[in-house]
Amino acid sequence: MEYIGEHLLPGQLGRFFVSLSFGAALISAIAYFLYIKSQNENYKKVARGLFLSHAAAVMGIVGTLFYLLLSHYFEYDYVWKHSSLDLEKRYVFSAFWEGQEGSFILWLFWHAILGVILQFTAKKWEAPAMIVFSAVQAFLSSMVLGVFPFGLRIGSSPFVLMRNTADNFGLPWTKVPDYLERFPSFMDGTGLNPLLQNYWMTIHPPTLFLGFASTLVPFAFAVAALFNRDYKSWVKPALPWAFFSVGILGLGILMGGAWAYEALSFGGFWAWDPVENSSLVPWIVMVGAAHLMLIYRNKKTALSAAFFLSILSFILILYSTFLTRSGVLGDSSVHAFVDLGLSGQLLIYLGFFTLIAFGLLIFRYKEIPKSKKEDDLTSREFWMFIASLVLLIAAFQIIFSTSIPVINTLIGPEGLMPILGDTMAPPLDAIEHYNSFQVPFALVITLLMGIGQFLAYGKTNAKRFWKNSFISIAVALVVTALLAQLYDFWSQGLYLSFLFVSVYAVLSNLYYWLILGKGKLSFSGSSVAHIGFALIMLGSLISNAKKDVISQSEVFLSEDLPANENALLEQTDSAALGQYFAVFEDMEVVKNEQHYVVSYFNKPGDKNYAFQLRPFLLMSDQMGPTPNPDTEHFWHKDIYTHVTYSSFLEPNTGDGFGKEALVELGEGDTALYREHFIVMDSLKVSAGINDETGEMERLTLTAVARVINVLGQEFKIRPTYELEGEVLGHTDETLYDAGLRFRFEEVNMETNDIVLKAWSKLDEGQKPFIVMKAIVFPLINLLWIGSILMVIGSFIAVFQRYRTNRA
Amino acid sequence: MKRTHIAIIVFIALAIGAIMVTINDASTYVGFNRASENPGTKYTVIGYLDKDAPMDYDARANRFNFTAIDKEGNKQKVFYNQPKPQDFERSEEITMKGFATDSAFVASEILMKCPSKYNEQNEMAGYDTY
Repeated sequence: MEYIGEHLLPGQLGRFFVSLSFGAALISAIAYFLYIKSQNENYKKVARGLFLSHAAAVMGIVGTLFYLLLSHYFEYDYVWKHSSLDLEKRYVFSAFWEGQEGSFILWLFWHAILGVILQFTAKKWEAPAMIVFSAVQAFLSSMVLGVFPFGLRIGSSPFVLMRNTADNFGLPWTKVPDYLERFPSFMDGTGLNPLLQNYWMTIHPPTLFLGFASTLVPFAFAVAALFNRDYKSWVKPALPWAFFSVGILGLGILMGGAWAYEALSFGGFWAWDPVENSSLVPWIVMVGAAHLMLIYRNKKTALSAAFFLSILSFILILYSTFLTRSGVLGDSSVHAFVDLGLSGQLLIYLGFFTLIAFGLLIFRYKEIPKSKKEDDLTSREFWMFIASLVLLIAAFQIIFSTSIPVINTLIGPEGLMPILGDTMAPPLDAIEHYNSFQVPFALVITLLMGIGQFLAYGKTNAKRFWKNSFISIAVALVVTALLAQLYDFWSQGLYLSFLFVSVYAVLSNLYYWLILGKGKLSFSGSSVAHIGFALIMLGSLISNAKKDVISQSEVFLSEDLPANENALLEQTDSAALGQYFAVFEDMEVVKNEQHYVVSYFNKPGDKNYAFQLRPFLLMSDQMGPTPNPDTEHFWHKDIYTHVTYSSFLEPNTGDGFGKEALVELGEGDTALYREHFIVMDSLKVSAGINDETGEMERLTLTAVARVINVLGQEFKIRPTYELEGEVLGHTDETLYDAGLRFRFEEVNMETNDIVLKAWSKLDEGQKPFIVMKAIVFPLINLLWIGSILMVIGSFIAVFQRYRTNRA
Repeated sequence: MKRTHIAIIVFIALAIGAIMVTINDASTYVGFNRASENPGTKYTVIGYLDKDAPMDYDARANRFNFTAIDKEGNKQKVFYNQPKPQDFERSEEITMKGFATDSAFVASEILMKCPSKYNEQNEMAGYDTY
């Protein structure tokens, strides 16, 4: 059968590129392996050529998918699911990586680029490191293959036509040649998730995926070193890459936090969501790995630990991919990907590299050179090692708690080995659970970061240490006291010490850089990155511990319940929100968004508002009304607001009736609606049959019911349901004195009950209102400044390491 | 024994401690019956909205109540001291964190799963139109 209006060529081209990328990567790995075995240069040439064609094929996949999205070829499932005609051009990137397939391609893309760079810079490490790269690329390409050999499913292709997907296969419409022109639902795509239509979503995923991809480089070097039995010299070329990974993955994660803060309504930049955790954990481990490599570079110890953490970071990336894409997180995460049925393949992927890498590490462990010397207790290397261990525990705690759904799958009541009696659920208060561990860990790390710069490799001179630290400690005490007074930290011991430690770490690194290092570039990498990290800690601590929900009402429903954190604002009335007086001015409709204009005054009666915010609800077909916050930024605090409910969302009849409710009643049943009893007495049916055809032409159903008010007065109502041919009609009953209206909505086919829709008269004087949440985050800017500094510092470190390597 | 070895042992001890605390902190998925047996104890219940029962959101008092049916089929009235979640009527599954009282289950947090538009469109195209 010929289908009309389909564009098959680009899809075939895309599939060709995917196969090429898979095949070339696989054979490239084999050719590199043969080169190592035979030392025949021809194999190397072939392997290089193959990896370059693989990289070219990946660019081809990227190009084809963009072409499909930009051309709006909705016969392709991926295009139909992730874009629409009215999608702005600048969001085509977000549409590209909204789905699993697209994000796999993004990942492939970065690996391909890093692989090509490595090919030409890794020198003697090229062959073994590129085996790892090619093998990883072959696995990743297979995730987008979308082939079904021997009834197995390998990968999910973004180039599959909608009529060929498993969901649609065999449905009647797939046999209609002109389905694209016939059915309106295929003329336009379902569109991009409204939450992703945000500029952060254009830059956050590519940065994050470059971060994921970058962890492969130290991994490849470590595995190559174990493979070649050349245990020492890999650290030098791997070190700048480890810091690159720290910088770029850190940036990607922080951008995710910024997006959450700007566009989501959970009220903050970090919520310990499983998806956030699973990218944070490999980063923490990579930070540990990079510092262990530094120890080895300077003191030739901690080599096996450096191997372990370098390998672990990438394995955790694979594990996170499994967690977020296999559907195992299910109930516990709001924004994990939908299960594509690839979990088996992902598990093989994870298992393969875990076994190879850790297997090699265990087999070669004895051969890895170890230092016989005991590290001095005052040495920098000892405390850097301890810090790396603390990072590892912190990472372990996060990933363990995040893995509760995996534990259920393994040993839960319905798991593989039913050991547990109940299905474990994630901690009820996730934020409190994680913070109770992570705050102490962060405190220790930040403290070591402050002290570390003044410890010498080998042995530290105590006198010099105290001389150099004295000023920072003294100034830190004063600043801490000021902050504690200002933000009331005196009664919270743990937070108070964390406050001091963070301030101290900022100051001591500043002192190290500007006074001891005289502001020289060679001192700046670590100092700037550490100052950044300490500022992130300071900003998170103050903005979170001292956040103030100013929309909180004093009314408690019961003692055990948290106070309601939402305030009701009636139009043009002023309500006190913290130090401000807020007035809900009006609702403005902009395209498919309802903008709620709220003015904030410093004093009631002020003529001019201090500032105005416009949080909005995005009315999306896909997700319903989706709140989008609006935030007023001051240098020392943010006022973050979003609308949780509004009277504009309530359905009403247009003539003053609202508060719609559905009531189901069988004959003789009674229901309560707005202080009235509704008693269903009987159902009258009258039908008109066409004498000639014997078919029913007209059907009238009348509900005979009574409405009884609190005084016992009875009113008879007779709402009817009329069906003439295909045309449905209702005759409503309105009791004007009681202010009630009833409609015979339908008959429940299963129970044969009558479904009544009831409205009540809205108060004439009732003004439109909104229910909103407003939170003040003090000093949150420290967090953003710190983020920028940490990333800049990491890149200075990359540059420095790169330069010393070349020298 | 080297100091670093001692540090590693401390590390392992801490890791085991973290596992124990996590298991302690972790709640369990239960039905309304189990929650009612221990009123006041916090549980996570997964269920779905009972569309036959009335659902009421009083914006002024900011009180939302509805009836949910858990996986075992038990009905329970649920109080939620927060604005009605957007698109609540369309939810397929509701995850409620909270505790039971003698009159109702009091939820402090609600997560819902909504059907995607994709499925609806599919049905429209596949079954109804043709």
